[in-house]
Amino acid sequence: MVRGVPPAIRWFARVFVAATLVFVLAPLIVVAGVSVSASQFIAFPPNGLSLRWYGAIFENSAYVKAFWTSLRLAILVTLAAAVFGTAAAIAIHRRRVPGADAIAALMLSPLILPTIIFSIGLLMLWSATVGPVSFAALWLGHLVVTLPYVVRTTLAVLADSDPFLEEAARTMGARRWQRIVHVVLPQCAPGVAAGAFFAFNISFDEAIVALFLRTPDLVTLPIQIYNQIEFSPDPTVAAVSTLMMAMTVATIALIDRLFGIQRFVGT
Amino acid sequence: MATLEVRQIVKSFGQAPVLRGISLDIASGQFVGLLGPSGCGKTTLLRIIAGLESVQSGAVLIDGRDVTAVAPEERDIAMMFQSYALLPHLSVRENVRFPLRMRRRGSRAAQLARATAALDTVKLAHLAERMPAQLSGGQQQRVALARAIVSDPKLLLLDEPLSNLDARLREEMQVELIDLHRRLGLTTVFVTHDQEEALSLSDRVVLINAGRIEQTGTPREIYSDPKTPFASDFIGSANLVAVDIERVPGGSVARLCAAAVLPVGETAPSGTATLVLRQEDLLLARAQSAPPPPGTLRAVVETRIYLGARVRYVLRVGEIRLKALAAPNELFEVGDALDVTVAPGRSRLIEA
Repeated sequence: MVRGVPPAIRWFARVFVAATLVFVLAPLIVVAGVSVSASQFIAFPPNGLSLRWYGAIFENSAYVKAFWTSLRLAILVTLAAAVFGTAAAIAIHRRRVPGADAIAALMLSPLILPTIIFSIGLLMLWSATVGPVSFAALWLGHLVVTLPYVVRTTLAVLADSDPFLEEAARTMGARRWQRIVHVVLPQCAPGVAAGAFFAFNISFDEAIVALFLRTPDLVTLPIQIYNQIEFSPDPTVAAVSTLMMAMTVATIALIDRLFGIQRFVGT
Repeated sequence: MATLEVRQIVKSFGQAPVLRGISLDIASGQFVGLLGPSGCGKTTLLRIIAGLESVQSGAVLIDGRDVTAVAPEERDIAMMFQSYALLPHLSVRENVRFPLRMRRRGSRAAQLARATAALDTVKLAHLAERMPAQLSGGQQQRVALARAIVSDPKLLLLDEPLSNLDARLREEMQVELIDLHRRLGLTTVFVTHDQEEALSLSDRVVLINAGRIEQTGTPREIYSDPKTPFASDFIGSANLVAVDIERVPGGSVARLCAAAVLPVGETAPSGTATLVLRQEDLLLARAQSAPPPPGTLRAVVETRIYLGARVRYVLRVGEIRLKALAAPNELFEVGDALDVTVAPGRSRLIEA
């Protein structure tokens, strides 16, 4: 226990932490509770216990199709964000591009700019130049939104790394490609992994860009959940949401196992 | 093992000149220390030898071959960085194997065997499976050293090899570096700002100041026969006193100030000069007679610093101050009057 903290403040801190936990976790608990309800309706506390809604998801072709769309999108977005983000971070870190600082600042803009404005802009730009929106447009939109995460996390690990590693590798006979493979990329790896994790989750979960760029054939899982709750609400919505949560927790556990996620908290 | 020749190296960063024409000739198997204050250009010179910095003009020759335009990875050298630059994602053994792996020397098994042998040389074979972050600073340095010698390089370059270690480890590592050099006979160039490190490790010391070589020689020559005021001041931080040389019957004397003269032998030309007095060459005794005997300076103790094995005094002689190092057998107090003589043959004059 920290000494010298007045009891009043200590109590306030406890209440504050407890309240945060309640507000963060309560909605998740409600969703998970609703998903195991036996009732036809979205109601909490659940009315009887049943896993029927989980079964119902897989019989609903709209969900299954939306899931595959979202998964395919998230994977392709993550791959592209990882590749371009790593390259961009290395170039910015080394000041190898003109205006590296400006680019680094620009990388923050998707975090600041309202996504809805970006979505409208992308929709208008795409329609005017390319034509009807497609999977590629959605992929591009998600790439823009997720790229900054990879760049930021990778820059963070590069800033922490020994600036002489690559020079040392040169004196050890490593040529350019050997240095990239054996020195530079391993240095970036934890940052790229963390950024890719964010990218995957953001893309999988993103609703605004996906809403603007949806077509009858291009519906992601969040949009499908939204459609469902708007037009025929039933506990499948909760069941899908619970599965998405489980997936996120599983990815966090995996990344943490591989790279240790704690070092990115606060970057 | 190879010779190293550095010819008329000129280097500047932007408008700021760093090296103003440096030439060096290093024989095969020599252990050479580049010594100088920070910012003198010694690290830049080491990096130029490694190939990590370009030059404006001049040449670097390893074993007679001009490598000025050759990339560091093609120079067949090894360099130990001040930060050690161990690859954090590789184990100790893989770090040491790295130079062999990059240069594709031998089979994987042969590379691992050589890495283990190199770790044995620095007595770290038992830590081969650890990751660098799990090692202490001293152990990390040994790993870096093993990695530097594993490929049997033509040239071993060390950047401030002892500066990140505490006093105890530094002494231990000093002995080990000398021992390692004797066993392997690698041509070695290292950089240091620490005169003791330079004197204790090197066969030859190259004293650099403001981008020029001030003096080169064996540690003994550099210490006992400094050729310039900078050399005498930087090494052993000697007393430098501006003096007038005056002819007297039977020789010359140097006048330090109105009331203080020292005999300086017969050969000194008259005029002004710089008198170099090493701190440990000043012999101190309690003042006996009212006027000091001839050839003696009358001084007053201004400050006393007790160092254990030695005692440092700051003495006032007329208007000038002198530093003196003495054995602690007799301790003088602040304010004591002393007779100061110079150990026979140890005063030196440098033209001003």
